[in-house]
Amino acid sequence: MMSFIPPRLRKPGIYALAGLLFSAAWLVQGGRLWWVSIVAVIMTAYQVVRLYRVGGTDTDEGALAGSRADERQQLVSLRSRALACNLAAITSFLGLTVAIALRASWGWPFLVTFLITGYGYLLGLGNYGIAEEGTPDDADTEPRPRSPVSS
Amino acid sequence: MRNRIREQRRQRGLSQAELAAALGVSRQTVISIESGRYLPSLPLAFAIAGFFDLTVDKMFDPDDEEAGA
Repeated sequence: MMSFIPPRLRKPGIYALAGLLFSAAWLVQGGRLWWVSIVAVIMTAYQVVRLYRVGGTDTDEGALAGSRADERQQLVSLRSRALACNLAAITSFLGLTVAIALRASWGWPFLVTFLITGYGYLLGLGNYGIAEEGTPDDADTEPRPRSPVSS
Repeated sequence: MRNRIREQRRQRGLSQAELAAALGVSRQTVISIESGRYLPSLPLAFAIAGFFDLTVDKMFDPDDEEAGA
């Protein structure tokens, strides 16, 4: 889908889109904090330029930012994302537990995050693991009952 | 797992960057494989062995836990 976009522009492009959506949300909500949208645009522009510059460097971070990561760099990225999701799940569980103990009303975001990370894990098992197990084709290697004729 | 990539590369007078370009991976990945910190995938292991005209079992020695010399 993104093949028509040069690799080095993909990550900065996604970041720019997300940053503009975030700043638009602040602008749409109105109120006294509308100026946060301007700060968000400035921060987004800074990060987009930084990502583009990093994407041109000969480092692992540069390869990931420039969307030209090889298998080891993709593995590093995958492990980092897995670690981030583990931390999110643990943090949300702890937050939810504390909220329950304190009978606090602010516990629901922790519950939502915990459910999403848990469901995401099950979704991953379904997509990448269990669904690809298939059926065993080595049934003929199972021990067979001995025929009285051949024995 | 010991491997002979560094030895073979030096015999042919190649830099890590040149080998990386030939294999379609990054220079950092060649460094990691040579030092034994990263075990390449099976397709990449075959590509490395094929590049040096060796078989995979000649290029990688599973019996040795040490990194490549």
